[in-house]
Amino acid sequence: MFKLFSPNIGKVTFLIAILAWLALVFVDITRIFGLMNQIESGVAPEVSYILQVAFFIMVYLFYNYSITKNERNEFLNLIWRGASTGLLALAISLLIRGFYGLLGDSRLANDPLMRNFFYHVNFALTSLFLISCTLLWKRLILYQKTKKVVQQWQAFEILLSISMFFVFFNQNTLDYSFLFGLVFIFVFSISLSINLKWIPYLTFKEKWKSILFFSIILVSASYLFLQVLSYSDADQIPVNLTDNLLLIGLFVFIFIYSLFSFLVTLFNLPTSSVFEQKLTEAINFQRLSQSIKPGENENQVLDILIDSSMSASYADAGWLETFNEEGQLGVLQYRFIDKSILKQIQNVLLQSTSYPQAPTQKREEDSKSIPIKINHPVYKSALVTPLYINQKLLGRLILAKEVKDGFNKEMVNIISTFVGQACISVENYRLLNEAIKNERYKEELEIAQRVQESLLPEKLHHDECFEISGFSAAADEVGGDYYETKQLDEHTFALIIGDVSGKGTSAAFNMSQMKGVFHSLVQTHPNPKDFMVLANNALSECLEKNHFITTSYYLINTVRKSVTYSRAGHCPTLFHNHQKQETEYLSIDGMGLGILRNQLYKNYVHEKTFHFKEGDVMVVITDGIVEAKDDHGVEFGYERLRKVAHQNVHLSSQEIQDKIIKEVYKFIGKNTIADDDYSLLVVKFK
Amino acid sequence: MLKIENIDQEDHVILQLSGEIDASNSVDLDAAIQDILEKGTKRILVDGSQLEYISSAGLGVFMSYLEEFQEKDIQIVIFGLLEKVHQVFVILGLDKLITIKSTEQDALEAML
Repeated sequence: MFKLFSPNIGKVTFLIAILAWLALVFVDITRIFGLMNQIESGVAPEVSYILQVAFFIMVYLFYNYSITKNERNEFLNLIWRGASTGLLALAISLLIRGFYGLLGDSRLANDPLMRNFFYHVNFALTSLFLISCTLLWKRLILYQKTKKVVQQWQAFEILLSISMFFVFFNQNTLDYSFLFGLVFIFVFSISLSINLKWIPYLTFKEKWKSILFFSIILVSASYLFLQVLSYSDADQIPVNLTDNLLLIGLFVFIFIYSLFSFLVTLFNLPTSSVFEQKLTEAINFQRLSQSIKPGENENQVLDILIDSSMSASYADAGWLETFNEEGQLGVLQYRFIDKSILKQIQNVLLQSTSYPQAPTQKREEDSKSIPIKINHPVYKSALVTPLYINQKLLGRLILAKEVKDGFNKEMVNIISTFVGQACISVENYRLLNEAIKNERYKEELEIAQRVQESLLPEKLHHDECFEISGFSAAADEVGGDYYETKQLDEHTFALIIGDVSGKGTSAAFNMSQMKGVFHSLVQTHPNPKDFMVLANNALSECLEKNHFITTSYYLINTVRKSVTYSRAGHCPTLFHNHQKQETEYLSIDGMGLGILRNQLYKNYVHEKTFHFKEGDVMVVITDGIVEAKDDHGVEFGYERLRKVAHQNVHLSSQEIQDKIIKEVYKFIGKNTIADDDYSLLVVKFK
Repeated sequence: MLKIENIDQEDHVILQLSGEIDASNSVDLDAAIQDILEKGTKRILVDGSQLEYISSAGLGVFMSYLEEFQEKDIQIVIFGLLEKVHQVFVILGLDKLITIKSTEQDALEAML
């Protein structure tokens, strides 16, 4: 139900307004009939007043709805709406007058019914014009509103509604109370009419248009007002509707506000270009400060820069010279000038003493704009502004004018600001690009890191004859250390540790190759020496010529209780003999993989076997551990490692490992960043 | 920090290394050796007495030239290495491929 009713407030109010007006006409016609036929019609004037008030309210509601609904509420649109309504009321009123003029003194011209009907038409149009204008002016007054203005307007509206009902007290006659009310409205109107904040936002052209519209409104209002006054004395009108306080008050308000607007707009005309200029500058500044999107060119900023600077300084010519990568000066953008004249001015400028020479270090005053007088047939003054990015001279902006001393302080200031903002934008753009690049690298490193973490084993194979613990930490996101175990049969375990030369991503790649080699070769259960020879052959094919891999390979047999091992350039293995209570490095020769890439390699790698007993411990490391340095550059070293291990051999493999790692980190200190990969395997025999 | 100096002698070049060789400056060492090779020198003496540290990247540089030295019949001898640096060469097995002597005199004799 509600839905059916609500969407068409406009139509409903319009309809009721027409009905109220028709009722007004009808009531008056009834009266006139009564007068003509000497019959008392018995219709009190209050009936007309009630209908009049209803009519006012409906018109108000209708306009309130239609103006709020209309989205295109630009100032000029609003004023035009008022002016067009005024024109309509004026035109119809003139037509009626013309019609009567044509009728002359005929009987029809004196017909009270027709006269009364036209009176009602004029009344309705005048009301429409006044009420619509009031609502339109409300929009203008409340532009950039403050709380105070809103309150003032609300009070004014209350005053107007009171004046609407005033008719019941004074029966639309011009008495003192009427004048008193009018003065009130007059004072209010003046105080409201100073709210003209919308005027500066009109462009020069729009101002002219609004001046025209306001004159239309002023003319219409004056004419309609005079017409209303003429009705006061007319005798054919049984009930005077137009000597209404609201109508007259609205006349006053509309007229005053229109007059103020008209005058202020008129006086604003000459300064309008300045305001527009400032607005353009603000917009240009905003365009400059918007950071360039990645992928776009920084030349776009320089393009905006030269255009905004030229418009801000009214320059006749301008160009931008920038240093290219080789440090040569080139002209990037030039406006309203051809290259030959540009060259001439460049030469003239270079001779000037105040022309900024390319400095090596940025100083505060170097980034200032410098106005220079030039001796040229066409151009008489120039403004040179250096562009600095990251303390480095990017180039210069040169503006030239055909008048002497063409650049005033304000212009110099605004150009400096423009240049500063453009430089910041370019700098931001460069930083952003760099950041994006870094971000991409970071992402790739994260992927590499994940891959590498998956390369280190989750579990280390062993049986009840020994326990084993492993640890690895990379200096960079990815590292080149590698260890792994593999159970070959029930009692045989292969154990490998490797260290790839170099660090970071390239090392990580080589490490994954090593893992591949290990898994291929271990299938055939090779002896440690054969493993090394085959691995060397394989890696010789795929490692870069300045890369190598060091590795140690162990075969642990838990039945024979033996360890057969080979070392290829890797750091020696620490072994604790529980029976002898000795902890020593196993000595065996062996060359790193990928160093000698031919058949001779087998001569440089060896194989040894030892037997283990319960309580023996084997500590396998990469060189990062022994080469770990403290604050003074002293290495952790083999001896320190041997001592730490020796002191802790009674513990479990995990505990021994923890102790060693703790000692290493304690040794290098908190402030030192690990600069190599650390890996450690501890095997404890049972 | 690595300082590299080339000293031309009558019949050989002395490549003096001081400081530390790591991944960041191993390219400098590479460039220095490349220079010497371009000059056509047949005998290179590497003075490692001021060398405090050499990383795997540094060792990789020496290693990568081994084949070229052999092909072009160029002799290279390193001398005067600190014990811990010498140890690095030994552990890797490079001492088997490059002659390492303790003094310049020994190194010169080794080249004959």
